[in-house]
Amino acid sequence: MKGIVFVELIRMAETVMGEEAVDEVLDKCELSTDGAYTTVGNYPCTELITLVEAFSKHSGTPSAELQRLFGKWMHEHFVLSYPSFFTDKADALSMLSAIEDEVHVEVRKLYPDAELPRFDTERLGPNVLCMTYRSPRPLNDFCQGLVEGCVDHFGHHADIHRQDLACTREHACNFTITLRD
Amino acid sequence: MREPDRLPPLSSDVPVARRRYDRERRARIEAEQLLEAKSRELYDANTALRKQAESLEEAIRQRTADFEAARIQAEAANAAKSVFLATMSHEIRTPLNGVLGMAEALNDTSLTLAQRDMLNVVLHSGRLLQTVLNDILDLSKIEAGKYEIEEVAFNLLDTVRSVEAMFALKAQEKGLDLKIVFGPGADGWIRGDPDRLRQILGNLVSNAIKFTSKGSVHVSIDICAVNDRHELFLIVADTGKGISSEERDRLFKPYEQSNSAISREFGGTGLGLSISRRFCQLMHGDLSVESNACGGATFTARFRVSPAQPPKLVSDRNHQDDLKRLLLERPLRILAAEDNKTNQLVLRSLLNSLDLTLEIVSDGSALIAAWEQRRPDLILMDIQMPIMNGQEATAAIRHAECKRKITRTPIIALSANMMRHHEIEYRKIGMDGCVPKPFRKEQLFSVMLACLK
Repeated sequence: MKGIVFVELIRMAETVMGEEAVDEVLDKCELSTDGAYTTVGNYPCTELITLVEAFSKHSGTPSAELQRLFGKWMHEHFVLSYPSFFTDKADALSMLSAIEDEVHVEVRKLYPDAELPRFDTERLGPNVLCMTYRSPRPLNDFCQGLVEGCVDHFGHHADIHRQDLACTREHACNFTITLRD
Repeated sequence: MREPDRLPPLSSDVPVARRRYDRERRARIEAEQLLEAKSRELYDANTALRKQAESLEEAIRQRTADFEAARIQAEAANAAKSVFLATMSHEIRTPLNGVLGMAEALNDTSLTLAQRDMLNVVLHSGRLLQTVLNDILDLSKIEAGKYEIEEVAFNLLDTVRSVEAMFALKAQEKGLDLKIVFGPGADGWIRGDPDRLRQILGNLVSNAIKFTSKGSVHVSIDICAVNDRHELFLIVADTGKGISSEERDRLFKPYEQSNSAISREFGGTGLGLSISRRFCQLMHGDLSVESNACGGATFTARFRVSPAQPPKLVSDRNHQDDLKRLLLERPLRILAAEDNKTNQLVLRSLLNSLDLTLEIVSDGSALIAAWEQRRPDLILMDIQMPIMNGQEATAAIRHAECKRKITRTPIIALSANMMRHHEIEYRKIGMDGCVPKPFRKEQLFSVMLACLK
């Protein structure tokens, strides 16, 4: 998994819990790099899950909720670091539809070895988008946070309905996003 | 002073100042951003390179395809030209064959002196036309890569002398001293292509006489052996006006004479030297020319030959007389298949001087019918005929002979297509001899004699 996710998770945790608490958590965890991550590196996904569980335990926030919040945080980071993806999109539905064919294409240019999740989208109406998320990693909640972050960024009011799908080989869920305004 | 370590030792005891920590963190973020930007640049550069390579490859592909198309087109055009030339020369040869054959037959009749002079002009002009035609056909065969060089044992001295005999009179008429000198290595029998040797030497001597108004034409013949390889050298030196370096460049190009005034003054197709050089090259040699400003030109032809033993018995007798003698011993019945009326007449005229029975039919199927009716002593078989060609008729006869266990009738192929591979093909289907068209009486009689014996 790309180092950016680890770096941002730690940054979020520092913002919420403070540096000392984060150091304490990191010291307790078994991590391949002792908690030193760089955005351009690759690290095992299990460490991310370990970190999420550890921060959840320390803060008392359920891990699913923490993942969702982290998804929203990550979205903000994307907006700040890669604004060009967002400027030409009319709404959140257009942005979400562009992840697979636009954002991921660019990511692969920089990181040819990146293992990226799949986002299949289908417009069900002018204001309704169905998006299927599939990944070998258990990050459905994180993805939901990203979707919410995207809707918030474009200033929409929207209903986001999530349905987890039962798959043996991967983690998957359907999001139906309906813009209200 | 000791060189400082690249990284200061890490110690958990020493607290890091906040400012220092922030600075390190900013540096890391900047390094990460820098790396990402460089990765992007690298990706773009790679993409540009890949695109450039692809466009270059595409350009190469396109050009290769263009060249290939042009090559195929050029080859097709050249092949079409060769086929056209071969067809045309066949079409011209057949009537020419008639003209020359009848002229030769006429020569055997009683004529007045004036008539004989006229006939000689007809024969001379016809043979000249035949030479031009053969030149064009030779070149088209060479260009099509279909020219086959013979390899037979022959007497070098006799072959060169036969060329000398052809030009001695002409040299004498012009008051030129034609002299042939044989080197120490050039005597006796060698293995090679005697007809090509005659053609090359004849061409060089003919040119030398043509372009020399006074003085001499000296020919020297020698064989040089280097590492088991024997090379025959034909050197023809004249005292003509010489050849300028500009003219030399055009000299060996087909259809080009050194200047157009020459073709007006001396005639000729301008193919001779080109063909001679190609022959030399086909025989692993070359033809070159040297000339100096004071005049005179020296042509050197060289090509590979191999030494050969003289055959034990060399018959020097007249074939016509031999045939006549044979006919005295037993009467001969000859069956011939020839579709062309003129060639039929030529054949009849040539064999007229002999006391034999000749029956001529127009195709292979008629020949088989005649053969079934009464077995002849010899069959003369044209190759290209309607209804059934010569090869098919021969195969049918050989098959029938074998099946019915009857005596084999000798069959002689008569064809304008008498290259080495044709001859091999004809012999394979059961023919016993081959006579090329246009017929020469001596050659026809010699092959007939060989088959009848």
